[in-house]
Amino acid sequence: MAQPKIPVNLIMSKLAEDAEKAGTRAQKATDVLLGELDTQISATPHEIVYQEDRIKLKYYRPPGRVRIKTPLLLVYALINRETMLDLQPARSVVQNFMNEGIDFYMIDWGYPTRKDKFLTIDDHVNGYMDNVIDFIRAKHNLEKINLMGICMGGTFSVIYSALHPEKVKNLVTTVTPTNFDTDQGLLHIWMKDLDVDRMIDAHGNMPGDLLNFGFLLLNPAQLMINKYVGFLENMDNHKFVENFIRMEKWIFDSPDVPGETFRQFTKDCYQKNLLIQSKLMVGGRRVELKKITMPLLNYYGKYDHLVPPEACELLTGKVGSKDTTDICLDTGHIGIYVSSKCQKEFAPKIARWLKERDGEMKKDKRKKPSSGKPAGAKTKTAAAKAKTKTTSVKKKP
Amino acid sequence: MNEQQTETIGPATLMSTWMKTATAFWEQTLRQWPGAPDMSGAWPSGTPSKKGATGRPQETLASALKTWQSLSELMSEPSMIESQVNGIGALPEIILKMVKSGAERYLHLQHEWVRRVGKIGERTKAYEFENLDQELFKAWSEIYDQEFRQLLNMPQLGLTRFYQERMNRATDEFSRFQTTMAEFMHVLFLPMDKSFNIIQEKLLQMAEEGTLPENPKDYYQMWIKILEGHYMTLFKSSEYIQVLQRTIDRHSDFLTAKQALMEDFCQMLPVPTHKEMDELYKELYHLKKKIKMLEKKMESVQNGKIP
Repeated sequence: MAQPKIPVNLIMSKLAEDAEKAGTRAQKATDVLLGELDTQISATPHEIVYQEDRIKLKYYRPPGRVRIKTPLLLVYALINRETMLDLQPARSVVQNFMNEGIDFYMIDWGYPTRKDKFLTIDDHVNGYMDNVIDFIRAKHNLEKINLMGICMGGTFSVIYSALHPEKVKNLVTTVTPTNFDTDQGLLHIWMKDLDVDRMIDAHGNMPGDLLNFGFLLLNPAQLMINKYVGFLENMDNHKFVENFIRMEKWIFDSPDVPGETFRQFTKDCYQKNLLIQSKLMVGGRRVELKKITMPLLNYYGKYDHLVPPEACELLTGKVGSKDTTDICLDTGHIGIYVSSKCQKEFAPKIARWLKERDGEMKKDKRKKPSSGKPAGAKTKTAAAKAKTKTTSVKKKP
Repeated sequence: MNEQQTETIGPATLMSTWMKTATAFWEQTLRQWPGAPDMSGAWPSGTPSKKGATGRPQETLASALKTWQSLSELMSEPSMIESQVNGIGALPEIILKMVKSGAERYLHLQHEWVRRVGKIGERTKAYEFENLDQELFKAWSEIYDQEFRQLLNMPQLGLTRFYQERMNRATDEFSRFQTTMAEFMHVLFLPMDKSFNIIQEKLLQMAEEGTLPENPKDYYQMWIKILEGHYMTLFKSSEYIQVLQRTIDRHSDFLTAKQALMEDFCQMLPVPTHKEMDELYKELYHLKKKIKMLEKKMESVQNGKIP
């Protein structure tokens, strides 16, 4: 007897099986959802050591001895919150940095209100960031500190390093857009024609919820449907639910972006692409990338749909530094910080890179970052500076 | 009641009777007021000078009554009554014309709706979003712009003209935003529509080939991948970008108009308006910036960095 073309009986029996499983799952899920859930984010103990207006400076003291002499300041974006770096105990960039013995500071930009709508990029970079860096320099009695930026915070860090190179020892940029003239990411396409004046004049500040809605629209099938189907399939799993809620808490915790900053960022960066051309003006000064002469480590994600590789990879070729490294990971915008795969190497690699450049090794003896260098890293050291094109080896997942 | 009586109780008689009754009523009422003029506007003897301050209301009243009496006499003339009756008779025709005009527009909209609603999603092929069928929204926008918007944008008169204009503008911007939002939601739903069509075709093909999956989850996975692909194609299309920009712009315009209207209401309450607060915040912002700059300069001087 020939096989039926439509295996109705098999499909039906599988459906019945699934329905039974769903029933059991729903029963268990009730216990999970109504029971105790630990969904706290940003739980790592820290001190607030500096405060100015809405800005706070968090300080994380390493549990053991400090192994990197120069403290590291992390500057997050104005979009969403820095709590992403400390979502859950086992997946915390903050804890990984602490375990590496890094004296670690992080800016909490707070929640801008209507009174902050006049704050410009200049106020953030030459105002708040500069004051915070001066505070850390004074506290540690140092001329320079290590600076790391994430996404828009990375762009701010690049601008800061170009304007105040005398205060930055090493610069780490992660998923940092610097070249905005690309059609790779939808965000770059959509922002090109945005009437930002009309928008900011109407809203005052750029509402975080509106931004979030825009981010959801980048991939509604995954972010608005499939994600929650995944939740339904795992809602009887206590740990899964806890982590899912933590992520939800972070994603939808969206402060507004100060209006004038958003206006300038959209016009000068997304629409005119001034930064990578060293034509951007901040606080009446031109941001010349050639003035970035400190070592630069540039991380980005191959599958980043918000800040695609094309938006990140030009930076190392435009700066004046003789020591630059590009690392492209096989992950997305958030995966760099939260995926368990990247967790294992992201913070340790940065710690190694900083240790190598923390003044303990002499310049001529500096090893190429081949030791522990992940595949996929493009390195331009003093020796390799002579305009040689480094080959990019794609990193394995 | 005989036929003759029926004829006399027509609209003309009613009008004339009403005018006479109204005049008599006011005459009686005025007699109760000492020193008031009679219906012809004549003053009783011993009334103080009309030029005096107390005589002004009486003077106005006398003038109004005189006008009323002249008017009522004029209106009671048979030729005028006939004209009025004709006017009343023409009223249904006028109303009919007005209704007809509105109904024609409505029917036009309905016709467009019926003609196009069945075609939604048909004009573009799978994974293609050029020439999206947005005619329905265009038709509605045209009708709105031609019929309603003009009314809202009519110049306003008098003391409250600015308030009325702001009210009209908010109403107008709200309507325009709603139309664009509906269009945006329609475009956003297109990939859903298309993905359902494709999955049906795919399943039919698989059924014919005998390769249908046994696990229902596989069907979902197939659909979600198709849906994702469609969204990615849609989001890169210039048509989508135009609709998106239009929606954002209309939203901004509506917010601005709503804000202006709210400011009017806020002014009646003991609360500061956004405009007032923004002015204050701006001053505060500049002051703080100056103070911070001076602080830094002072520190530099104290540290000997600036002589």
